[in-house]
Amino acid sequence: MELSPEEGDPETPHVINMTTSEKVVDLLNQAALIPTDEKLTVLKQVQELIINKDPSLLDNFLDEIIAFQTDKSIEVRKFVIGFIEEACKRDNELLLRLIANLNMLLKDESVNVVKKAILTLTQLYKVTLQWLVRSKAVSERQEACWDLVTQMKGDVLALLDSENDGVRTHAIKFTESLIITLSPRTSDSDVPKRQEGDISLDKVPKDHSYIRYDALCEEGKTALERLLKFMVHPAITSINLTTALGSLATIARQRPMFMSEVVQAYETLHANLPPTLAKSQVSSVRKNLKLHLVAVLKHPCSLEFQGQISTLLLDLGMPQSEITRSTPAPREQRKRPR
Amino acid sequence: MPSHPLRVAVVCSSNQNRSMEAHNILSKRGFDVRSFGTGSHVKLPGPAPDKPNVYDFKTTYVQMYNDLVCRPLTVGYEVQTCIPAYQRYTQNGILHMLDRNKRIKSKPERFQNCKDKFDLVITCEERVYDQVLEDLNSREQETLQPVHVINVDIQDNHEEATLGAFLICELCQCIQHTDDMENEIDELLQEFEEKSNRPFLHTVCFY
Repeated sequence: MELSPEEGDPETPHVINMTTSEKVVDLLNQAALIPTDEKLTVLKQVQELIINKDPSLLDNFLDEIIAFQTDKSIEVRKFVIGFIEEACKRDNELLLRLIANLNMLLKDESVNVVKKAILTLTQLYKVTLQWLVRSKAVSERQEACWDLVTQMKGDVLALLDSENDGVRTHAIKFTESLIITLSPRTSDSDVPKRQEGDISLDKVPKDHSYIRYDALCEEGKTALERLLKFMVHPAITSINLTTALGSLATIARQRPMFMSEVVQAYETLHANLPPTLAKSQVSSVRKNLKLHLVAVLKHPCSLEFQGQISTLLLDLGMPQSEITRSTPAPREQRKRPR
Repeated sequence: MPSHPLRVAVVCSSNQNRSMEAHNILSKRGFDVRSFGTGSHVKLPGPAPDKPNVYDFKTTYVQMYNDLVCRPLTVGYEVQTCIPAYQRYTQNGILHMLDRNKRIKSKPERFQNCKDKFDLVITCEERVYDQVLEDLNSREQETLQPVHVINVDIQDNHEEATLGAFLICELCQCIQHTDDMENEIDELLQEFEEKSNRPFLHTVCFY
């Protein structure tokens, strides 16, 4: 793919006359030879050109970009992960080719690369499920792709036991997203605008040839159990605990069917804060607990838990007047016709 | 060392004293830093403790400076003629502070209006910390990129702002030099608490 040196009018920079494809070739040639900082700039330009400007080129240059997944720079490997995410979102078919690369990067020696791969899998899990559920044709490659994604899902759940605090934090966020995807959205669900188009269990057909509704439903419930179990570990770090508290609030608001489990977990935690936390960490965790309890309380489905939540909030030092202000009026609870 | 320079935000109430002192020092030490206030308005000390000078976040530091210099000190209808405004605001350091601030950026910024992403947000008092958490938690999650929020209590006066800024700077330097920030930050904060003898609140939010 070497380009011949530019000849002709020296006053016209050669890039002006280049086609997008030639520009990409030129940039990729440069990227191979320059230091990391500049390499990233150049690769980002390539990404912009082949994902946004002219996606028809994506297929042609895929291998050249993916080759950077073995680059010695962590930032370049993280770039490749970001590229995989963008490319697969742009063209779902590419999941067939790229998911294995993401799987490799999920096992990278650098925790920063692993964390980035977890973030991307969090997005691509939903994208894959949605794509396969909608896709009419059944192919072995698609089925293999789903098997691999399912295996990667299991690997990330196992990272809840990672030795690295940050990796665990990312695994918690993955679990949160998984629980929401693998449970049905209902009319009571509080759906963030950005996630309106996301897939959830209720959109999975019950007669799909290899994606089993019942199995997914069970996987979702198991994931919630794992998260709840993770939370009661006596040596949990304050940051993991904080993350999990927030995840539970998100789950309760988006999937009120789990509100009972969430409130129960908050109660248990409040009564048994991990003994390993330092004094200021206890203050931080209690503050977070208060914040998330209020978020759950504000949800119209909190009716039957208002007593429990109010007691907890009073215990955490919130004035009754403020609790009342955050409690939805009873008529709001009956928005749905009976 | 983390692979990219730490993106830091320092936040106080009015983006005048504590956050700007820290902004100043951190940027001199090469950090990728921005500063913010969380208040609904920018407040500066006025002619009496209960009569602050209030501006909105659109007002530039230069405009505030000029306004204070030109303003007769009125309390109610009674003009306090004993000290001219210029002298009063020179004595209490407000003009000097505004002069410093305008060299750093043109006007105060409100944290809640900034959609840029940070790795670390440092707040200067608990109320500000609460407001930052409320804001971050009210945003819709998108990338799930974590942001660590740490509160360091700093009294709102010039001396404490200087001491606080050095403490924040030392903290940021230590965090910047960790091999794996997220894995080491808990322990690091514990050490800093002991050393500085003040409690830090710490949490993580997600973009």
